[in-house]
Amino acid sequence: MALIRLEDVSKLYGFGDATTLALDEVNLIIEKGEFVAVMGPSGSGKSTLLNIMGLLDKPTHGSYKLSNRHVDRLSISQAARLRRDTIGFIFQSYNLLPRLTVLENVALPLTYKGVSQTKRLKQASAMLERVGMQNREYFYPYQLSGGQIQCAAIARALVNDPSIIIADEPTGNLDSVGSRLVMELLTEIHKSGNTIIFVTHNPELTRYATRVVYMYDGTIIQDEKTNIGEVAKTAKERHYKIAKKTVDDDLAGVTLLMKALPDKDVRTANRISRSKEKKKVKTNRRKS
Amino acid sequence: MSWHSGHIHTALVTIRANRGRSLITMFGIIVGVAGLIVVVGISQGVKNEITNQVNAYSNNVISVTSKAATLNSFGVSSVPAVSTLTNQDVRAISKIKGIVVVPLSIMSGVATGEQSDSNGIVIATSGQLLKVLNQTLVYGSFFSGSDTNPFTAVLGSTAAHNLYKKNIPLGFGLNWRGQQFIVDGVMNSFQVTPFSSNSIYNNAIFINQNAIKQMNLGGSSIYKILVRVNKGSQLTKVDREINTILLKTHDGDNNFSVLMPSQEAQSNTSVFNLLTELTISIAVIALFVGGVGIMNVMLVSVAERMHEIGIRKAIGASNRQIMSQFMIEATTVSVVGGLIGIIIALIIELGLRLTTNLVPTISWEIIVLSAVISSLIGIIFGSIPALRAASKQPIDALRND
Ligand SMILES: Nc1ncnc2c1ncn2[C@@H]1O[C@H](COP(=O)(O)OP(=O)(O)O)[C@@H](O)[C@H]1O
Ligand SMILES: [Mg+2]
Repeated sequence: MALIRLEDVSKLYGFGDATTLALDEVNLIIEKGEFVAVMGPSGSGKSTLLNIMGLLDKPTHGSYKLSNRHVDRLSISQAARLRRDTIGFIFQSYNLLPRLTVLENVALPLTYKGVSQTKRLKQASAMLERVGMQNREYFYPYQLSGGQIQCAAIARALVNDPSIIIADEPTGNLDSVGSRLVMELLTEIHKSGNTIIFVTHNPELTRYATRVVYMYDGTIIQDEKTNIGEVAKTAKERHYKIAKKTVDDDLAGVTLLMKALPDKDVRTANRISRSKEKKKVKTNRRKS
Repeated sequence: MSWHSGHIHTALVTIRANRGRSLITMFGIIVGVAGLIVVVGISQGVKNEITNQVNAYSNNVISVTSKAATLNSFGVSSVPAVSTLTNQDVRAISKIKGIVVVPLSIMSGVATGEQSDSNGIVIATSGQLLKVLNQTLVYGSFFSGSDTNPFTAVLGSTAAHNLYKKNIPLGFGLNWRGQQFIVDGVMNSFQVTPFSSNSIYNNAIFINQNAIKQMNLGGSSIYKILVRVNKGSQLTKVDREINTILLKTHDGDNNFSVLMPSQEAQSNTSVFNLLTELTISIAVIALFVGGVGIMNVMLVSVAERMHEIGIRKAIGASNRQIMSQFMIEATTVSVVGGLIGIIIALIIELGLRLTTNLVPTISWEIIVLSAVISSLIGIIFGSIPALRAASKQPIDALRND
């Protein structure tokens, strides 16, 4: 039985001439225990897909079954409750509320469940210990590094014991050390039975996933199973293609150098692919 | 529910973090609540004094004054320039059965004692005055020898002191308009309180009205006619009769007022009551402005905290829970403002007690009422921003960065 089953899911934003087709009849089945990486250029619909799977948004057309239950026409409060109990979110940035301590932030989902203060602080504290942040409980978000903030966000996503973790570019703002910290934490959570879906622009991070979904213009253009520890095949191909194409790299003559230093390689390639995406977004905007 | 306490805590943290802005937000509430408590306290204090004070007149005394007189007197012991009441009115009222009628005429001219003058007013009246005043004599009698000699005078306590210093003035001479009077009696002093006209009697020199007739001083102006009704049950009936009679003698002109015993005290405070109402309405306006201020700040706060709302919704907050959060924040701001207002009001009232002879009352009712009003303001004016926050779609709120 599939945990997540999307059938012909489309999502339209706006009206009339300003209509955007963010998702175009997407079909996707995710089984319990999968660790899915979603890749694709900016504006390809990755966030929209995750928001719909996470019940933050509703599909315009198509059907969505979560654990065999139709969830595409839930009321606002039903969606809020189901979200609270079955899904944990991690966003790219500003995950934590700045005026609350790390502990209070992690306890927040329990607050909305009506768990008593002592109980929820205890549970939050246990969860912080699990992510290795027990000595930062009374810190405020501004006192933490980016990686630590994301770890606290993961602790908060886990505190309700959700079956699905949805992370939209959780490492988007992190350096390689921070990214590794976060991904290793997610791997550990995956091992304990959670289903994880995350968005990344970094092909290197497909090493952690069991499956990679590639999106383009609101559709899934490729869906491949990968082995943990290996960079996904398609991701690898694409990233080398992009790197070769870059005029800047040719001019500087660094392409060869990069191949010799695979670690840096990834980061530069990543940066380049991003700047390309930005250009694309700009032209898209001009069109509309 | 347990998460409410968390929101109150967050709200207090927010207030403390933006101390300046919070104070400005609360300003209207602070002014409104403090104004309300102080004004109501002063007003209650004054009313208590009026009800507790010993009435100058004995029971069942109806007082008739000229309309011009009440307008001029404004609750303070001033004397009307022109009165519409005449001796003819007194004679007409006297025909009613079961009453005692005592006219009070204010006479011009200074009374001179053996050593000094008096600044007190000279009032011509009848020997019956003692029956309508709630007062006794310290010495002597009230126009006792009037049959043989109408030129007798009775002094109020202050007038006696001013004219004769420490001496007992019985039998001393008194000169008024070239006529010699004999002091026949001295009155006990009336209790003097703010907003009462009792002090006028303490400084008065009462002379026999028969003396005026003998001195051929026509056209004395009657300032007040006091009518004592022998049977209390007849009060309303007599009141109606006086009104009918006076309307007739005044050719239908309603230029007099007939005050029942209970109205007499109130008439002294009517202007004061008006002022109280005015000040209370200003306080209410301040409270309203305070509410609008809170709404404004909360709307800005909702706009600033879109991302926070998005995060909260993403991790499972329902619309109602977001709504409550912002309602609680607005209410906390206005309740804290209300508490500051209450504290300021108490300090002002203490200051008034220490520096003036006003005794503002501090009643628990008004303090509780202020607290209730300020929380209501928070709930009412906080609901619009709270609704706006709650109705945000989570993705729209999250996208806002
Ligand atoms: N709330 C919205 N209103 C209008 N257009 C939107 C909205 N959200 C997303 N879009 C559009 O939908 C498309 C997909 O966006 P998104 O899912 O955020 O892409 P990605 O996360 O892959 O960068 C984009 O063209 C974006 O401009
Ligand atoms: Mg996105």
